[in-house]
Amino acid sequence: MTTAQILVTLGSIVLAALLALLMIPVLVWLERRVCGLIQDRPGPNRTNVFGFRLGGVVQSFADVVKLVTKEEYIPDHIRYGRWIFLLAPMITFASALLAFMVIPFADTVQVDGAALRIQGLPVSYGILWYLAIGSVGILGMVFGGWLSHNKYSLLGALRAAAQMISYELALGLGIISMILTYDTIDFNAMVQWQSGTFWGFIPAWGLFIQPFAAVIIIIALFVETNRAPFSVAEGESEIVAGFFTEYTAMKFAMYFMGEYVAMNTASAVIVTMFLGGYQLPWFSTAALLEHFRTVAGVLLLLVPVVMTLFILWMRRNNRVRLTLSTDGGRGRETRILTGVLIGTTLLIEAILLWLLLEPAGSIGASVAVPLLQIVIFVVKLMLVNLFIILIRWTLPRFRYDQVQVLGWRYLLPAALANLFVTSIIVAGVGS
Amino acid sequence: MNDTVKPTRITTVPRYGDQPADKLYLPAIYAGIKVTLGHFVRNVLDITAMETLEYPEEQPTDITSRYRGLHRLTHREDGSIRCVACFMCATACPAQCINIIATERTDGIDEKMPEIFAIDTLECVFCGMCVEACPCDAIRMDTGIFSVTGKTREDFVLQRDRLLSHTGAFETEQTRNKEASHD
Repeated sequence: MTTAQILVTLGSIVLAALLALLMIPVLVWLERRVCGLIQDRPGPNRTNVFGFRLGGVVQSFADVVKLVTKEEYIPDHIRYGRWIFLLAPMITFASALLAFMVIPFADTVQVDGAALRIQGLPVSYGILWYLAIGSVGILGMVFGGWLSHNKYSLLGALRAAAQMISYELALGLGIISMILTYDTIDFNAMVQWQSGTFWGFIPAWGLFIQPFAAVIIIIALFVETNRAPFSVAEGESEIVAGFFTEYTAMKFAMYFMGEYVAMNTASAVIVTMFLGGYQLPWFSTAALLEHFRTVAGVLLLLVPVVMTLFILWMRRNNRVRLTLSTDGGRGRETRILTGVLIGTTLLIEAILLWLLLEPAGSIGASVAVPLLQIVIFVVKLMLVNLFIILIRWTLPRFRYDQVQVLGWRYLLPAALANLFVTSIIVAGVGS
Repeated sequence: MNDTVKPTRITTVPRYGDQPADKLYLPAIYAGIKVTLGHFVRNVLDITAMETLEYPEEQPTDITSRYRGLHRLTHREDGSIRCVACFMCATACPAQCINIIATERTDGIDEKMPEIFAIDTLECVFCGMCVEACPCDAIRMDTGIFSVTGKTREDFVLQRDRLLSHTGAFETEQTRNKEASHD
């Protein structure tokens, strides 16, 4: 391998790890802030480092510090299989993290004659990997709940396992229908398939091609990640904290973070399978590379507008009511952040200008297009995450038996019917 | 049971959720998201639109004069302590949090006054019985103070001088008449 190839490979691994791990504090913060704003209260907005609140995201880091320094307590009654008890949260966390590694963040790049995937794990059987590794997470929950020697933990683990099994079927059948549609098990090939349009103007996203399968898979992924309205594995009023009742400090945090990584992974799968992945609608990678100057020109105009709007929004909202005598350092923070944002904008503008004016055939476009696609992917990912969070704070939870009824009586037949119809259509189109 | 006797005054509550549209859940989810997203967008666009108080900086303004806040000992017209150490409040107190030690009053205004008058706010249930019991209007709970902080348990035992230093937060007819010239 040449140096450039090694750099690109390492870069995509680092990117995948960062996108999975750095997303945890952001998602925890997002969950709490969005919840607060929906309920007409501000949410965590006071923790700061040297006066920098960053909208409250610092709170997540403070929480992590707290959890790391907390006392690790293992109840005396846990005598058997203590090492599995300690291993269980790591299994859940690691499986959620590893399942994320097959998501493509940008199209394959040609570096020194070799096509390199921008994935954490450059494999071509992404969906199988996701299904295989993503399902291992439940083992951690079952081990944890069982070895806690606690009724509530056992019930929680039981619920988690039962709902996982009943929805894995619908998820698998839904995914099979998507595999039939795209005729591939490779996430990247799926994204490339979605780059076209049908009827001339609708982007050929999985959401528009297979809306029925999209609904089934999204519901099944909600269950898979234990998110509300299917969060029956834990319930304060019924079974305390479910399978992690006996866990403390960082062990608990492992489960907690694993949940958010799993949610992030589910969002990434939704984006990749149904929302065109890293693709800009109506622009395939080839079209981006070909009309690169136009795209750079549009971005040159768009970036300052977006940044200005953001700065105006920040200046308007990073403050307290005018009746208050002190703003807790928010004014200073706003001024400094405004400066930083303006500097960033100027830097991006300079790079775009250079891309616009550079001689044809140089390396600029082939670096900038993957970067642009990564940005698009992250934006889509965040929007889907926001949607999942919004659902949690909108809907009441299902009862446990309702979850099972929905899974077995409605979702499974629906997935089967969808698979049947999809197969007929695919066979008809293919022949 | 006789089937012909119909129970009266029983209303049938309409049940929802049996229609196909309800069973599908999706219309209800759409309606719910419309509500939550509406609140979210409104608050994101203007963070000050929320009613929530930024508490330590912003203090509540809706405390009424009937609110039972921290206690205070009132003064006479000449500014001296009104309490005559009759122990009525300590007797009435269900939490037994008032500790009074009486002493002779030598300035000729009255015969008796408290040497120590301490209220343990960690024990106090803020029921207001002491105020009701007081024959001299010497103790009141109209300070409007709702937050007591301290670093040790002793900080929460309010002594006589601290209770005397509290002022009434509300302008009542009684206050105007009795204490206009002093406070």
